[in-house]
Amino acid sequence: MAAGLRAVRRWGLAAAAPPGLAFTRSAFVATKANNAQPNWLGVALAFSTSAALWAFLIKQHKEDVVEYERRKQARGHKCTECS
Amino acid sequence: MAFLPDEARSLPPPPLFNKGSVWLGFVGWLSALADNGFNQRPVLRAGVHRQILFATVGFFVGYQLVKRAEYVHAKVDRELFEYIRHHPVDFQ
Repeated sequence: MAAGLRAVRRWGLAAAAPPGLAFTRSAFVATKANNAQPNWLGVALAFSTSAALWAFLIKQHKEDVVEYERRKQARGHKCTECS
Repeated sequence: MAFLPDEARSLPPPPLFNKGSVWLGFVGWLSALADNGFNQRPVLRAGVHRQILFATVGFFVGYQLVKRAEYVHAKVDRELFEYIRHHPVDFQ
């Protein structure tokens, strides 16, 4: 119960009256986000994921162009109605 | 069914910057800005890594969706022209 009261105070609800005294134990702990200190792991993951996605996208686009040109050559453009 | 069957590679690939990819990339960026707003951070200057990531994911999803849309349209066009070719009487 003391842990529940501490959690309530951390959430800044100390002024509000708790509804009865029925606390449920939770696996989660709520903390105020600290935007002053960067979450460097998150930043590194975000940048590396972005770089990986861009690299994959540009590589896939280049491969698509090459494959399209190759298939156009192989087809010999015998069908003139469909593009 | 596959998202992009192999025959889709016979189509000319859409340019990297097309309507779908640019728009969804912009939407991703806006949602990062909205996230900044909801968490009471400076809207433009905060979380640049998040803005870049959301914009990149939006761009990527947009590009894949445009490729699939072009494939579906081409498939329908092909079936339409095949039908016209097989039923010339109806189209005279």
